[in-house]
Amino acid sequence: MKLSLSWLAEHVDLSGLEPQQILKDLSMSTAEIEGVQQFGQGLECLLVGHVRAAEKHPDADKLSVCQVDLGPQHGGVQQIVCGAPNVARGQRVVVIRPGDSLPEQGGKGALKIKVGKIRGVESHGMICSEAELGLSSDHDGILVLPPDAPIGARFVDVLPVQDWVFEIDNKSINHRPDLWGHYGFARELAAIYGRPLRSLPPPPTLPARGATVPIEVEDRVGCPRYCGLVIDGVRAEKSPPALRWRLQAVGQRAINLPVDLTNYVLLELGQPLHAFDLEHVGSGPIRVRRAKSGESLTTLDGQARKLTDQDLLVCVGTRPEALAGIMGGAGTMVGGGTTRLFLEAANFHAATVRKTSMRLGLRTDASARFEKAQDPANASLGALRFLQLLQQHCPTATAAGPLADPLGWVEPQKTVALRRERLALKLGIELPDERVAGILQALQFGVQTTPVGFTVAVPSFRATKDIAHEDDLIEEVGRMFRYDNIPERPLRGTIAPPPRHDELFLVRRLLEVACLDLGCSEAYNYSFVPDAVLAACGADAHAYVRVQNPVAPEQARIRRHVLPSLLQSAANNLAGGAVGHSAGGAEVLLCEHGKGYHAEMRADHDLPHEVREVAFVHSRRDGLHPFLELRANLERLLQRVGHPATMARVWHGKDQPWVHPNAAVAIDRDGSPVGYVAHLHPGVARAMNLPSTTAIACLDVRALLANGRRTAHYQAVPTFPVLPVDVALLVDSGVQASAVAEFLRTVGRKLVRDVQLFEVYRGERLPPGKKSLNFTVTLGADDRTLTDEDESRYLGKVRDQAAQVGAELRG
Amino acid sequence: MDPTAQRDSWLAQVAAAADEAALAAVETRLLAAEGELTQLLRSVTSLPKEQRPAFGKAANGVKQAVEAAIAAARTGFAARALQRELAQPDFDPTEAAPAPRRGALHPITIVQNELVDLFTSLGFQWQDGPEVESEYFNFDALNIPADHPARESQDTFWCEPIDGGRRHLLRTHTSPVQVRTMQRFVKEHGPGPLKVIVPGRCFRSETVDKSHEHTFYQMEGLVVDRGVSTANLIYTMKTCLRQILKRDVKVRLRPGFFPFVEPGFELDVNCPFCQGRGCSVCKRSGWIEILPCGMVHPNVLQQGGYDPEQFTGFAFGMGLQRVVMLRYGIDDIRQFMGGDMRFLRQFPEVPR
Repeated sequence: MKLSLSWLAEHVDLSGLEPQQILKDLSMSTAEIEGVQQFGQGLECLLVGHVRAAEKHPDADKLSVCQVDLGPQHGGVQQIVCGAPNVARGQRVVVIRPGDSLPEQGGKGALKIKVGKIRGVESHGMICSEAELGLSSDHDGILVLPPDAPIGARFVDVLPVQDWVFEIDNKSINHRPDLWGHYGFARELAAIYGRPLRSLPPPPTLPARGATVPIEVEDRVGCPRYCGLVIDGVRAEKSPPALRWRLQAVGQRAINLPVDLTNYVLLELGQPLHAFDLEHVGSGPIRVRRAKSGESLTTLDGQARKLTDQDLLVCVGTRPEALAGIMGGAGTMVGGGTTRLFLEAANFHAATVRKTSMRLGLRTDASARFEKAQDPANASLGALRFLQLLQQHCPTATAAGPLADPLGWVEPQKTVALRRERLALKLGIELPDERVAGILQALQFGVQTTPVGFTVAVPSFRATKDIAHEDDLIEEVGRMFRYDNIPERPLRGTIAPPPRHDELFLVRRLLEVACLDLGCSEAYNYSFVPDAVLAACGADAHAYVRVQNPVAPEQARIRRHVLPSLLQSAANNLAGGAVGHSAGGAEVLLCEHGKGYHAEMRADHDLPHEVREVAFVHSRRDGLHPFLELRANLERLLQRVGHPATMARVWHGKDQPWVHPNAAVAIDRDGSPVGYVAHLHPGVARAMNLPSTTAIACLDVRALLANGRRTAHYQAVPTFPVLPVDVALLVDSGVQASAVAEFLRTVGRKLVRDVQLFEVYRGERLPPGKKSLNFTVTLGADDRTLTDEDESRYLGKVRDQAAQVGAELRG
Repeated sequence: MDPTAQRDSWLAQVAAAADEAALAAVETRLLAAEGELTQLLRSVTSLPKEQRPAFGKAANGVKQAVEAAIAAARTGFAARALQRELAQPDFDPTEAAPAPRRGALHPITIVQNELVDLFTSLGFQWQDGPEVESEYFNFDALNIPADHPARESQDTFWCEPIDGGRRHLLRTHTSPVQVRTMQRFVKEHGPGPLKVIVPGRCFRSETVDKSHEHTFYQMEGLVVDRGVSTANLIYTMKTCLRQILKRDVKVRLRPGFFPFVEPGFELDVNCPFCQGRGCSVCKRSGWIEILPCGMVHPNVLQQGGYDPEQFTGFAFGMGLQRVVMLRYGIDDIRQFMGGDMRFLRQFPEVPR
């Protein structure tokens, strides 16, 4: 919203205050101001000229050669060629002289005027139209000044064309219905500067009897108040320049006097008005009701609007004429021929107006105000202000009858108690009573002192929305005292270590080790996972949480797991030629922490079950499969964060179809799974355009945490040396090393201290389909030094029982 | 027999040994059990008693001379071997070797962790809450009225109800965790002092462009205790911002409206680019808006299980992307999402 400084100054004395100062003070006490700009900037060089003579150009039908007197101080009479149809002898006009420039506008730079020849006739300057001055879009002719404008005076001194305009950030006044017009801001400025707020000019008296239009309000929730006034003797002419320019300055296009004045009142009081041509309304009645489903209305902008029973209509009889509080119907327009008006000044229900306006995507100055909950007092006030302004510019206009106000309105007596102690507690400073009362009174609250503080009467323009509680009044006092004046003070309290959220710290450690020690890059992906990615991963049949209003129709699903989107990141990186770390060529190594949601399970508050995962993708394009490396990295990672795990159980990836069904191990902590390391499913690799040499891993952070951290336990340092024994076992290729290792561990009972696979040999010295698993088994005892005999006894047992695991002792 | 007869010949043999192996052969030939010198020494027994001392002395003299020569030669070989090893003519320490993998944390993670370190050091606890959130925690409990525009689908991502259940949403701010944490704390310990920070992912229905994202990161802070005031908020925020921005900041507090605080503020810091004189970054005001904050609304405290007559508090929120963008000079907010390694690997910062 834009505010005109001269308009504000009509309601409160702002003399001696620079626009920048006002901007700062409003920012500190009231609302966010985005900037201040001068309207009519660069017009100082323009002069009032008197057209002494205007003759037709000898060589061009549409041009006139004018002799324009600029006064003796500006070189007297100058010859200027003018193309405007309305130029005539005797006029006072606005002239720009050679060497001066017109202000830039509409993206065009400043226009510098030079002495020129137009069709052979010299021209020393230019007579300007309003459009050329940037004052309106009126190109039809030159601007003609009042006949008493002094010749040679500066144009800006003759008419009130220059003004300062503040741009308010609308978001910062959404909670303040009273600030949606100049008068509300003038009230704030009066309080800020301790200057009196001027009352509006006294309203004209209305006849006690006369023409009215009957008003029937069927929906009193939707329309708490409806005032109507019939006005005769209206001339729908162009508004006088000062009025038009003021509207222009705050971004409102001028149309004709009655319409301009409805806008003027809206911009001054925040009260939207609608002027109907009385011919169109006839004898009424005006009826306010909800629309019927399927009903439709063509609004002023020519759009046919389909309505629902949530929308509120203003009808004439049964005929819908306006979307209440938003926009009039196409037929209601006040045009050049209008002489009698029916003026609507109503109050409409905020949520009703907002819902309709949102649904139709139709936001207007009126709806923006009603949806903030306007003060019903403004309905009658607005109607009378309109009439008063109209009579000022069009003396023939009169009220044809009394103000119809069938519902009436009684000002609610709302009081809120404000305690001194509470005020000091919340602001952190004690203020003298006179200061507090002074601030509230300046904002037009009623104040009575009580033993504990104040009883504060809330004026109706603050009562509809934002002032309901004691703390709301504390805000009023604080902002006018200015928060900046509150001296800062440290918190006081007892010392206590904050409780530690283990899960968050574990995630942090996991990521730091993964990235800084293992070389992963940490990616972030959206929680919305594209349908195409899920399809490629074979995961579209699962139950997803879906967004009703997604960013794109194909991104409505919230991810269950982190991996699919991370696979997409890996594919994008490879396609984009991400430079790898490995010598052989491009590779990507990514990790991501995120949450997944499972729609089929519920948690507290009926929320979907949440998982927290850290996922890994390691993809190589040099033919080497990174599975073993990733698995080793996961082992290091989990050790490093204090949650070491075993990765020795083959896993078949039930819920996660991107896992290779026969090439995955579970990550187990004390026998329960906390994640997996796997080959990427080759079908998924193809569908996502990833190399088959892609390894993936996933950790379920909560499962990992549930199994506790590893803690150390001391045991006496062994006194007797250990005995390493090399064991080579021949097995079928498909036999799992982990099973064989387990066999080697159990077969030696208590003597086995450690089993390490140091080599897997497949080669021509072995029968086809066989491999040799070469282990170092460390034997030891607490009470003696082991001998060769212990070794041969152990190997004997291995030889005898190896068949259990399909193995045969070699050598 | 002259025990020194062969002395020169033996010394010559030692001297002639060209390398360690040759020297070892000479040593064996002379000094082993059946070696020439050993035999010479042993031959003393075949001499008459009176000749023995002189012979023995001379023979031992020869032996010592030979042993000394051998030891000297050996030292020489070792020294030369060491010299050769040190020379390393083929070695180039500047040759490239396989580089270790270089990874990096996401820049938002980096900044978030720094803030977490700062606030936990001041006694704040680090908390988190669900991203798919209930309407109650995201709106109702935060004093946001049922017909508030923020609830419209223009701003909020609503989830389809599952099996006719309640309608959830993607949290539009980290503030729901305020009430979650208060409720949990009160349940466990009863109402008492509480200091919390909540960094996390939030969502708002917005069209993505260079400076707008529908997925964004916030950090929420909440302090509840007896007697907490606006004066405390100003002090605390100043202290923290001084650490975060690593400079001596000036702050100013202006009115700002958020339904879950009363009064609400916008907190500005003096513009670092122009020292408050006014530039294009601060829109000529000399101030940069950095942090919405306010005194916790009594209704919110009540939802959290606190008596607003006994307890007051303040809350603040910070856009993490904005802090990250300011710190690294990133001008396109879209870079944060999607995992482009050309972006991610530019931030190899290690936590302090």
